[in-house]
Amino acid sequence: MTFSPSTRTGLSAGAALLLLAALAIVPRFVQSPYALHVLILIFLSTIMGQAWNILGGYTGQYSVGHAAYFGVGAYVTVSLMLHRQIAPWVGMWAGAAAVVVVALVIGSICFRLRGPYFVLASIAVTEIMRLVATNLKDLTNGAEGILATEIPPLKFGATVITDFGSKVPFYYIGLGLAVLTILVTWAVTHSKLGYCFQAIREDQDAAHSLGINPTLYKNIALAISAVLTSFAGAFYAIYVGFVDPPTVLGLDLSVQIVLICIIGGIGTIQGPMVGACILVPLSEILRSNAVPELLMKWGWMNGESGIGLFLKENLAHAHVLIYGILVVLVILYMPEGLVGFLRRVTRGRRAA
Amino acid sequence: MDVFLQSLISGILLGGVYALIGTGLTLIFGVMRVINFAHGDIQMVGMYLTYLLFVHAGIDPFVSVLITFPLMFLFGGLIQKVFINRVLDALPQNQILLTIGLGLIMSNTAMLIFTSDYKILTTSYSSGSVKLGGISISQPMTISFLITVAVTAALWWFLKKTDTGQAIRATAQDRDAAQLMGINVKRMSIIAFGLGSSLVATAGALIAPTYYIYPQVGAAFTLKAFVITVLGGMGSIVGAALGGIIIGISESMGAAYIGAGWKDVVVFALFLLVLLLKPSGLMGKSNA
Amino acid sequence: MAILVIEHVSKFFGGLAANSDVSFSMEEGSIMGLIGPNGAGKTTLFNCITGYYPPSKGVIWFEGRKMNGLQPDKVCKLGMARTWQKVRPLAKMTVLDNVVVGALARTNSLRVAREMAMAQLEVVRLHGKAGFLAGGLPIGERKKLEVARVLATGPKLLLLDEVMGGLNPAESEEIIQLILDIRTRGLTQMVIEHDMKAIMRISDRIVVLNSGEKLAEGSPDEVVNNQDVVDAYLGESHAED
Repeated sequence: MTFSPSTRTGLSAGAALLLLAALAIVPRFVQSPYALHVLILIFLSTIMGQAWNILGGYTGQYSVGHAAYFGVGAYVTVSLMLHRQIAPWVGMWAGAAAVVVVALVIGSICFRLRGPYFVLASIAVTEIMRLVATNLKDLTNGAEGILATEIPPLKFGATVITDFGSKVPFYYIGLGLAVLTILVTWAVTHSKLGYCFQAIREDQDAAHSLGINPTLYKNIALAISAVLTSFAGAFYAIYVGFVDPPTVLGLDLSVQIVLICIIGGIGTIQGPMVGACILVPLSEILRSNAVPELLMKWGWMNGESGIGLFLKENLAHAHVLIYGILVVLVILYMPEGLVGFLRRVTRGRRAA
Repeated sequence: MDVFLQSLISGILLGGVYALIGTGLTLIFGVMRVINFAHGDIQMVGMYLTYLLFVHAGIDPFVSVLITFPLMFLFGGLIQKVFINRVLDALPQNQILLTIGLGLIMSNTAMLIFTSDYKILTTSYSSGSVKLGGISISQPMTISFLITVAVTAALWWFLKKTDTGQAIRATAQDRDAAQLMGINVKRMSIIAFGLGSSLVATAGALIAPTYYIYPQVGAAFTLKAFVITVLGGMGSIVGAALGGIIIGISESMGAAYIGAGWKDVVVFALFLLVLLLKPSGLMGKSNA
Repeated sequence: MAILVIEHVSKFFGGLAANSDVSFSMEEGSIMGLIGPNGAGKTTLFNCITGYYPPSKGVIWFEGRKMNGLQPDKVCKLGMARTWQKVRPLAKMTVLDNVVVGALARTNSLRVAREMAMAQLEVVRLHGKAGFLAGGLPIGERKKLEVARVLATGPKLLLLDEVMGGLNPAESEEIIQLILDIRTRGLTQMVIEHDMKAIMRISDRIVVLNSGEKLAEGSPDEVVNNQDVVDAYLGESHAED
């Protein structure tokens, strides 16, 4: 069965709405805070991956320094909340404004470079920011980090909408931000911007000769991507209630952001969602020690044996291992990511 | 003046180890055009190997280099043969991601085996130093510097004087031409990755007596390795050695005059300046 | 009226002169052939004219406007568009989208750009492949795609860098007809080509470059009969035949 492009768009829009409706009623049926927590992390990863996708996937600029924007968003929002009593949903816009400035400075440095040199420069700039945040103790409280657990209640007029007493409000904020990020990506890719971005990705010199100013459009892509990433940072900060330089400005985070996209499939709308849906649960399963427990329950492993104790003790700490294994497998066997791989498989079958 | 001389000498001693790290990365890049993001993690493996040999077999870290070097050569060669070899023609981004993934696997496996506790390898001379005038010179750093010089000289001899060394240099200069001349390019790549791993692991062994050992220790060194090689010119061995010394000195000067917390900022700022002003590095051919 | 004037243009790389003191001008609506042996500096001159290199010396005038120092995107928007000797399709985009990118130099509306792009694809007869990925086209169609893409940017002056290179005689003939067809629409064209028969057929005037310098200029007949040209270039290639 084949569909015309417009029918296909209609079908996927319908499927997306159904999925959204289903996600919107989840908290009515799912009471477990842990399940909600995992879903919130999936939303967060989707936002980060989708935001990176605009610069890395569509414009072809592999930034491995997106922690810079995440961190600035997180720090500005939390600092404003603690020191100026500015609510996070207001503060995040200040964070976004700060991030645009940071992004333009970083862009003016890094976009002079291409390929691997761009990657290295993006890492270096972000490392400088992490070190500066660690050292400017007056502003950031240095390596000790900032604890921010008191979130002012969200009010509409005099009516309190939520006091953030449970995970449910975070669930809806995360879902809302994820939907926003996806809509922005969709709008970008279906506009002149998207064409210019992709032309630069495919061949910067050719794009330049066709009237596209590469510096301008790369900076636009970076600014959009950075602002969305800063929202993820702000959301993370109020959800977790704690920020410190290694977690919100570290190289690990930058790499993780790229991996979400790579594993799902770069340059596609579905890619970051698929990546988030795979990575988050997998790393949570490892983190929660479910694997050794299952192995014991099924009687494949003795909990008191050396290996059993060892796995129980340590597997949880090594949940990032799964990122490493997945990225190696994806690069070697499906360099277009899972989405690209599945597309190729289904296309092959249709042709046959 | 004493502070200056003291920082200069510590910087040079530290720079020797950095030179070794940079040389390893630049050798791999020169032959394969792959930027190895797992470089620091390979160094971490070298550090744990040195630690194990010291704790379980009582072998002095500086002596254990004789075991670490060949073992890590095999390790690196295997990684090249099984993984890197398959992406030599892929996009540079994918090569970078593959090595990032390999690095994550190494550091997290180390975490599984050794937990994230800091290990300290204390030798009788770990904190020993010699006073010279008003300047104290660290004993282990001096020994490690001398070993560094010896290893670099040996590498130099190998690349210049042996047939294999010349084949490696030919491959680095022009992979296709080397292939046409009958050089086994695949074999040279395996040797280059093996050697690069041996060099960085040796650097790990040499700093093991004076540094904390933990699974994530590699990341910082990977970044430093980039700074060193870009500074010297990607692919240039002399440049990497020079870059190592320069970074060593900048770090210790930065720590002495600006503050220990800021020394890496100095290094990265230097890195960005070089990237922007002369991306081909000090020893690289100018492409402007 | 002269649409393009090249005045004493030189381009040095290090100490080497890729172009030295080249001057000529082009009449609106004409086709100029740019010929010369390999390494004569033809592509370098293209790069200077279209903003990829700033000329080391001399001035480039386009419609009375000084072009030195303008970036390629600006040059394109002012009405000069070039193709590449080695074709550069935007491989992972469709044939139509490649041309849409060109059309977006003239409009911000995607709908309008798609219509313009489709019209240009019909001009080069690639409209049947609009939905294919550009990276999958054979060389002959990639060359046509390059032409459609620059046409979509709405140029007044087209610079075509070896659009017949690597094509079989039938495909070359199609391109020749395309160039002649484009002229009837009033566009000015500068064509770098190695196929002497083709260049003699299509050019109103020919400029011959040799070792970066202008060796001769004139109508095809004048150039063929110019002794310097015969010695330096034609003689050599005839001797090879």
